[in-house]
Amino acid sequence: MSAEPLVVVDRLQTHFPVRRGLLRRTVGHVQAVDGVSFTIDRRRTLGLVGESGCGKTTAGRSILRLIEPTGGAVRFDGKDVRATRGADLRALRRRMQIVFQDPYGSLNPRLTVRAILEEGLVIHRLGTAGEREARVLRALERTGMTAAALERYPHEFSGGQRQRIAIARALVLEPDFLVLDEPISALDVSIQAQVVNLLVELRERLGLTYLFISHDLSVVEYMSDDVAVMYLGRIVERAAASDLYRAPLHPYTLALFSAVPSVDPARRRRRIVLSGDVPSPSRPPSGCRFHPRCPLAESVCREVDPPEVSLGGHRVHCHVAAREVERAGGDAAKASACLSGMMAAAASDTLPSNET
Amino acid sequence: MPLLAIHNLVTAFHTPAGRVPAVDGVSLAIDRGRTLGLVGESGCGKSVTAMSILRLVAAPGTIESGTILLDQPGGAVDLVSLPEPALRKVRGGRIGMIFQEPMTSLNPVFTIGDQIAEAVRLHRDVTREAARARALEMLKLVRLADPGQRLDEYPHQLSGGMRQRVMIAMALACEPDLVIADEPTTALDVTIQAQILELLSDLRRRLGTAILLITHDLGVVAETCDDVAVMYAGRIVEQAPATELFAHPLHPYTIGLLAARPAAGGRQPGPLATIPGMVPPPQHFPEGCRFHPRCGYARLPECAAGPPALRELRPGHFVRCDFAADLGPPHAVATGLGAA
Repeated sequence: MSAEPLVVVDRLQTHFPVRRGLLRRTVGHVQAVDGVSFTIDRRRTLGLVGESGCGKTTAGRSILRLIEPTGGAVRFDGKDVRATRGADLRALRRRMQIVFQDPYGSLNPRLTVRAILEEGLVIHRLGTAGEREARVLRALERTGMTAAALERYPHEFSGGQRQRIAIARALVLEPDFLVLDEPISALDVSIQAQVVNLLVELRERLGLTYLFISHDLSVVEYMSDDVAVMYLGRIVERAAASDLYRAPLHPYTLALFSAVPSVDPARRRRRIVLSGDVPSPSRPPSGCRFHPRCPLAESVCREVDPPEVSLGGHRVHCHVAAREVERAGGDAAKASACLSGMMAAAASDTLPSNET
Repeated sequence: MPLLAIHNLVTAFHTPAGRVPAVDGVSLAIDRGRTLGLVGESGCGKSVTAMSILRLVAAPGTIESGTILLDQPGGAVDLVSLPEPALRKVRGGRIGMIFQEPMTSLNPVFTIGDQIAEAVRLHRDVTREAARARALEMLKLVRLADPGQRLDEYPHQLSGGMRQRVMIAMALACEPDLVIADEPTTALDVTIQAQILELLSDLRRRLGTAILLITHDLGVVAETCDDVAVMYAGRIVEQAPATELFAHPLHPYTIGLLAARPAAGGRQPGPLATIPGMVPPPQHFPEGCRFHPRCGYARLPECAAGPPALRELRPGHFVRCDFAADLGPPHAVATGLGAA
């Protein structure tokens, strides 16, 4: 076994052409994913968080080449995913599976659960009919469902049960790596916890590696070993989950965390309300992409793309945070508290008023 | 009397499969200037309750019984029996409405300004110019950037957060006493949600508008509401002031909902607490307490026998559970999940 992480993503780039006019000329590019790098060790989970349009879903799909990346490299178990073709690619894909957000849209309504689960085995020409039957049943039972489900159709199941079927479909090929793209977002609160527990149990039991994509920060913290925060096609901060949640350093991460409503008054942070909306990824701002919404933005932020600063594995792309970390003598918690205070002060000064 | 008092509301849908009581005996009261959060999972009847208030429940749904009293200067009126012309004055006039999906609830072929002005002219005898001026004033009130320019733009030119601001502007244009907000931030990102919630609380403080906030997000309720009612399977199972409810949840369903979310700050060991089974669809509501098949504290046969009454266990804190005062230790629940 190599010591290399199972998944290595290096400066991954996925741009979509924007075509206009009669001749469908390319007039620009949507920079959905623009230079994203991370690694995931075996049996570990990387949480990928960010708001809609930040590129987290595109990043997940680009790794599996469900969307073709336009640049960068993806290595899976030492193999170059982007250079692999034909039968080799199919063999690689057997080991990398995905669970989609919408359990209503991702299961073919005309197929029985048996046909849905068996399809992957047929495509990959795995096993005899008898062996396939056994594997289908095993995958289904691993997700807490029984053989009674096999002859039924997706519409006969609730959202939570459908998501179990979608997970069983991913498991039937006995993969090493799962991309979980918002797997619980479409489910009711009381069902979410059931599916989260199932995913954790499967990871421990089958030795799986996860890329867990979600906008739900509490669930990401619960599920993940490491967490990366995306904004407008880039990762702005990446750290061990405990470090990131204890001492967020990027102003966007700070604002994101402070915006999550909580039932626990003690947990409520001073809310930092960002002004404005996320800009379009086809015309990303110059310099730091967060600068037009950032209460701490300085002139350097408008011009220079902030380089990565690493503080014992806690990586952040921000000029101001880098300076505060230095000022705090490398104490991330101190720098985080300081940045948070600066943001709250700056945000209350610039809150737009309707009296103007 | 409270601004709005719902008493024993029953709204049912008559489908080929039979009568489906989506709202089954709901009573609620909202005082002036207060925010009441109505929480529950999909299918619990919270949106049907909201739609019933304005009699917007579409066929085959009908309000079968109950009263919805709206306090007015000329005396209270019952919205259930109010004639349609008078009701039209209430909709968008005394009571404003904000829906979840601002893209589908705004008309794509009219400008923002025209749509707000239309709402104003429906309820007030004003000129076109005055209505347009009012629309501009409202866009400023909800802090939309470049209000003068936005007035002549179409909904597709705005982002989700901006559209929701327009919806709020429209709902508030006629200075309603009550705004019904049905999942107003569910379709929005969390930083935009923070903006909208901040805006709603600010407007409530300044205008004194009462808000009925319908949501599935307990965190949103905790941060914005004065009072909370928790719905499950067509009934209110618990009701209390927000601080009281979150500090001392008494109904097993509320306790389960609060425990099912991972606690922040330090990774908790072991699996998350879960509510077993799934939300029952209205055509298959269980007998007795509707939560008993999923309840870890259920005592049989009592809980399956008759529906429990809503009782006040602590001051202002009402619970629909006969054993809430002394739940005892939870036991395992066999729900037959997956046997389906």
